[in-house]
Amino acid sequence: MTSPTPAGGTPSSDPATPETSAGQPVTERTTRSGPGKVLVAVYGVFALAACSRAAVQLITRFDEAPLAYLLSALAGVIYVIATIMLARGTRTSRRVATVAIVVELVGVLTIGTFSVLDPAAFPRATVWSAYGSGYGYVPLVLPILGLWWLYATRPGRPARS
Amino acid sequence: MALSGGMVIWGLLTTAVNQPPYKAQLLYAAGVEIVTVVQSIVGFVGIARGFRPEEFGTTIGYLIGILVLIPAAWFWANVERTRYSGLVLAVAGLAVSVMTLRLMQLWVPA
Repeated sequence: MTSPTPAGGTPSSDPATPETSAGQPVTERTTRSGPGKVLVAVYGVFALAACSRAAVQLITRFDEAPLAYLLSALAGVIYVIATIMLARGTRTSRRVATVAIVVELVGVLTIGTFSVLDPAAFPRATVWSAYGSGYGYVPLVLPILGLWWLYATRPGRPARS
Repeated sequence: MALSGGMVIWGLLTTAVNQPPYKAQLLYAAGVEIVTVVQSIVGFVGIARGFRPEEFGTTIGYLIGILVLIPAAWFWANVERTRYSGLVLAVAGLAVSVMTLRLMQLWVPA
């Protein structure tokens, strides 16, 4: 945050981001490039999964478990925000992404814990139930990876050659 | 499913050998998308003919949602072509595989 490096920033000699086939050097090290591209893709899949699940639940069976379904919707919204913000990779979007991913981490831990301790409170599954076991625990791993990635790409860290 | 599984393997391979996706790989992904579209059309025809799967809403959601994955991955993989583009295609392939599996599980009469 101290460095004024803009998103369209300086050339870096990051070995993880080789030159593109078009011959243009990959110039910036932002949340969207390199491995971050994959992270964005996974977030995108979960944004789609959580939103569609929430939409189906809210439309067809809202009365059964309003709380669980609203939480599903919230999870979906957070995934969408995180996806877009990581894909944009600007300084502002980094901050928004950080907040979204922290909320996501708190959400998956809280919902996960509650759903294990008191299954009756969550009669219907959300993406975050049982720490996301229905999704191969990816919802639990994803925010940790996301925060690590934001940390790894934080402005000012790469040696500006 | 085997087809989208192929996309996963191919994507992992090009990432492993540090290459952006090959043209053939992108064409293959397009082929998988076409098969996926056909699968969804068959699904909707079945529903139009009166077939009612157990989880009706979820099935509809899957039939529609599964279509956007490969085009989105295609676009995202080509924004910046690096070794990670292959992994992006692999993620989409995996998601399509899982969704196809779920669709087959859901495809039982109510």
